[in-house]
Amino acid sequence: MLSNAIRRVPRVFSVARRAMSTVEESSSMSLNFNLPHESIYSDAKVAQVIVPGVAGEYGVTADHVPVVAQMKAGVLQILHEGVAEPEKYFVAGGFSITHPNSVTDISCPEAVRLDDIDSAAVTSAFEEAKSKFSNAESGSVAQAEAQIDMDVNRSMGAALGLTLV
Amino acid sequence: MYVERVMGQAVAARGMATEKQIFNQIQSTKNISKITSSMKMVSAAKLKGDEQRLSLADAFNKWTTPLTGEPVLLEGATYDELPQKTLIVPMTSDKGLCGGINSFITRGTRDIVAKVTADGKECDVVVVGDKGRGQMKRLLAGKIIRSATEVQSPGSFTLASALSSELIAAGAMNYDAVMIVYNSFVNAAVYEQKYKLIKPYVIEGEEESMLEYEFEPDTKSEVMVDLYEYLLTSQIFHSFMDAAASEQSSRMTAMENASKNAGELIDSLTLKYNRARQARITTELIEIISGAAALED
Repeated sequence: MLSNAIRRVPRVFSVARRAMSTVEESSSMSLNFNLPHESIYSDAKVAQVIVPGVAGEYGVTADHVPVVAQMKAGVLQILHEGVAEPEKYFVAGGFSITHPNSVTDISCPEAVRLDDIDSAAVTSAFEEAKSKFSNAESGSVAQAEAQIDMDVNRSMGAALGLTLV
Repeated sequence: MYVERVMGQAVAARGMATEKQIFNQIQSTKNISKITSSMKMVSAAKLKGDEQRLSLADAFNKWTTPLTGEPVLLEGATYDELPQKTLIVPMTSDKGLCGGINSFITRGTRDIVAKVTADGKECDVVVVGDKGRGQMKRLLAGKIIRSATEVQSPGSFTLASALSSELIAAGAMNYDAVMIVYNSFVNAAVYEQKYKLIKPYVIEGEEESMLEYEFEPDTKSEVMVDLYEYLLTSQIFHSFMDAAASEQSSRMTAMENASKNAGELIDSLTLKYNRARQARITTELIEIISGAAALED
């Protein structure tokens, strides 16, 4: 009789697991954060990741709904378990894919630690891009490139707390 | 093999090579052996860097595996799963003196094209690398729609990005699959030929891809197009790194064999030289002795 009860219990759990796709045993998510020239995190257990999506920022925790998100140039925040301050990276675009098994793959062509960005260099790069933008002829490739430069530097500045116009 | 081709010309012309000629042969063989052994050491050093880049590229490219599957070995492949219209992208090198890597890729591509044509399917080829272009120009002239040469080995993400934009401009999304054929590095002595099949995403209908995922932003079709290009770039980047590491290991092996052959040739030529020298000395001695004997009498 007792053995019957024990046998029944695991089946109940598995039914619950199938019914609610988000209920699982894991409490942390696995993060893969890779650049072409550096592997920053591989199968790392983190508490939460805040992704700068094109449509807006959103946070990913364990058991998040599967998402494919295109990232814009912005700040990626990684919250480790038991650490209050998030680790911040400035990413230059890329994709973030959260799989059904709480594994998130974040892949970007380039990303830097926010601490490694020099605000003076960002300001001067922004000014340079701004002058190139005004000097280039309207609608040319040079102007488009200068526009991209300006936008990226502006977001970098915003991440550091500077307002660049 | 490289050494003998050079040497053969010198000996074949005359019947009996003189001592001086053999000596010249030995000198040039020694020079060649110096070059090949230094090339081997350069390749060994470059291989270390390429292997490291490859392991980073492996980690970087891991996100594509759930989406496109693992690369498949060319050996024993039946190519039955190829769709109706395929764009084949073989990756070869620009420089030579690298062993058999380019011949393997050319042969593999030729087999794939033959199988595809026999099955009544279509394919086109975009060749990367000068050596491959030269070899395939004869065999697959009609199929080659683009070629990319003077690709700075080992390549970078920017380069892979440029190549994938070119492929998409050449109409990659109109094909049912893009097939990258490349050499994959196993270790310093072994490399294998592999291919990756990358299919564009089906936006809607019964076979809609990635149904279980939500998309940010909501315009799934736009995000899929960008995702496809990024996926293609990531895969091309990984193949670049793999092919570069294979090229260096192959060059290292080829140069080591060349140095070994040169060493053996130098040994046999030295024996020949010594025999010629001894024959000359013996002849001179005989002349002197017979001359002296004649004077005595």
